[in-house]
Order: sequence, then C-alpha cells, then structure tokens
Amino acid sequence: MKPGKVKNLDPDGSLAANAEKVVSARLDELWSFVPDVLDPANVEELHEMRIAAKRLRYVLEVTAETCFGPYAVAAEKRIKRLQDLLGEIHDCDVQYPRVDALRRELEGEAASQLREMAQGSADLDPGLVASLEPATEERGLVTLATYLRARRELLYDQFVAMWNDLERDGLRARLKFALSERPDAAAGGLAQTVGGGR
Amino acid sequence: MAKARPIPGLSADISYAHAAALTIEVRSEELFAHSEGVLDTQDITRLHAMRVSTRRLRAVLEFYAPCLPREQLRPALKEVRRLADALGARRDPDVELQALTQFAGAVGPQDRPGVERFIEGTRRQQAEANADLAVALEAMVADDLRGRLEELAAAAAIRAGLEDQALASEGTQLR
Repeated sequence: MKPGKVKNLDPDGSLAANAEKVVSARLDELWSFVPDVLDPANVEELHEMRIAAKRLRYVLEVTAETCFGPYAVAAEKRIKRLQDLLGEIHDCDVQYPRVDALRRELEGEAASQLREMAQGSADLDPGLVASLEPATEERGLVTLATYLRARRELLYDQFVAMWNDLERDGLRARLKFALSERPDAAAGGLAQTVGGGR
Repeated sequence: MAKARPIPGLSADISYAHAAALTIEVRSEELFAHSEGVLDTQDITRLHAMRVSTRRLRAVLEFYAPCLPREQLRPALKEVRRLADALGARRDPDVELQALTQFAGAVGPQDRPGVERFIEGTRRQQAEANADLAVALEAMVADDLRGRLEELAAAAAIRAGLEDQALASEGTQLR
C-alpha cells in the first residue's frame, strides 16, 4: 500500500509544523487497519499494517525528540515493538505455505511411485503402500509446519494483547497531543503546546 | 541493529526544506558507511545494518518529498527501493536459516531429514538473492546513487535559501 498523500505541506514552513501533519496522517493510516487485523485470517492486512507501522516509526525516528512533546519518543518505541511483532507474524505467514508446498511435493513424488507400482491395474492395492520408502522427510516437514502454525497463533495472541494495551493506554490520542507540543529547549526538554505562549 | 545517527542542526523551528538537506546528507552517509562486506553470508549483521539504513533513507526521501525536485527524486527513490528490495530478499533467508538451524538442533533425529531438506531450499534462495544483490550493488555505483543523493540534499538546501550548504553538499562529496 502506498502512503497516503498529505496535503498542505510547505517546504518553507517549519519542520515541526510539517512533521505534525505527516505523523498524524501516518498514525491514522496505522489505525485504519483496525478492526480488519483483529481477524487472524487477514494476512494481507496484517502485512500492510506492519508497513504502515514502519512508515510511522521512521518519521518519528527523525522528528519525535526534535519536534514534539516527550510522549512522542515513548510512542516511537512502542510502535517499533508493534512493527517487530507484526514482522515475526509475517515471517510465519510466508514460511508456512512454503513448508506445506514442499511437503505436498514429496507426497506427489510418493504418489507417482505408487502409480508406477500399480502398473496398469484397475485399482490401487492398499498393500502397495507398505512398499514405499518411509516418508522420513515428510515427517520433519509436518513437524516444522506444526511448529510454525503454533508459533503464529502465539504471536498473533501477543499482537492482540499488545494492540489492546496500546488502545487502553490511549497511544493514538496521547501521540496526537504530543504532536501539538513543541520541545522547549530553554526549559530543558519540557514541552509546551503550539500557540501556548511560544 | 545500528542506531540511527543524530542529525546535527535539526530543530523544530528550521524550515522543512532545511531539515531535508540535513537529514538526507546524514542518512546517505549511513547507507554508504554500511555498504562494505554485505555479500558475506557468514556475517549477516552487515547486510542487516545496510538494509536498515536503506529503509531509513527511503523513509526520509518520502517524508521530505515536497522539498525535493520531483525529476531528481523519482530516479533516486527508485534506485533506493531497488536496493532495499535486493537487501530484503537476502535478509529473509538469512533470518530463516538462523531460525531453522536452531529448530533442526532442537527436533529429534526422525524429524531432522525433512527440516534439512527445507534448509537446502532456503540456502539456494539465499545464494540467488546474494547474486541479485551483487548486481544491485554494482548498479548503485554505476548509476551514481551517491551523487544523486548529494544533488538531492543540495537541491533541498537551495530550496531553503542555503546556497552555501548546497555547495558544501555537492562540493565536499561523500565520495
């Protein structure tokens, strides 16, 4: 998914004013994947949410400390953890079908062997299965697929718990507020809101 | 993972275009600083560091796009994306092999042949991705990505009315 175009950016305006608009838009994009991602079957949406988290995180990496209130730095760290977790889920989603495809390939090879053994018989004798070489490789692949599936489920549960924590802690609203604050260098990093006496 | 380098001179009040010049210069330096030894599959941390640098650079190019001349930004961004894709395609099997090797060590002897068979495929994938990466790295040099990025930083500086910095960006050259 391409990042949404942010309107009214001004190269002559301050970094903070422009960054506020961009971060706010990227934050909304991240949240736009809810509730879709709360269904574990929505693999593509989870993947796109990871990309949205990455975009938000890297803009915050440059601007959080410099441009915004202190919560922006804390939010960046939490979004990075979210991105990492979604990345691990994505790895499982990519690897599992490949393991399954190889297992099916081996199954296909074994089926071809059985067909050859049948040699034109009208039906396949179940007793021929005993003549097949033991499916040692298939066994390991089934184990690996089972592991990936269980790990994916575990990671997904962690994702839901993490997302609920972000919602409960009000990350979106708190970050939006921090975007409206500017660091006050004179006060040693204390922030003040835009229009609040600056 | 290598931490992002701080951007000297960056502050909330400087212009967006000025910030673009400062940031692109530092993120470009980071990219080339991490470009050594990335084809070595025995030390996968180097490739990871360059990949992260590429992602950071891509993100800032997109973030500062309104401050940059479109006709200069598009080819540079395309080149950075191509490089990022090639690095990502190598990184995926790197990570997978690390996890699979650990997994193979943990399973019983009856499961190991299947896991080893899958590992063989991932190794082939890593080798193919490394060959593609070598081509992308050559293209990075041949297409003078470094020069393009310096020109972008200089264009942003000029946009910000900082002709002196523009000259420094193009003159000192990261080359």
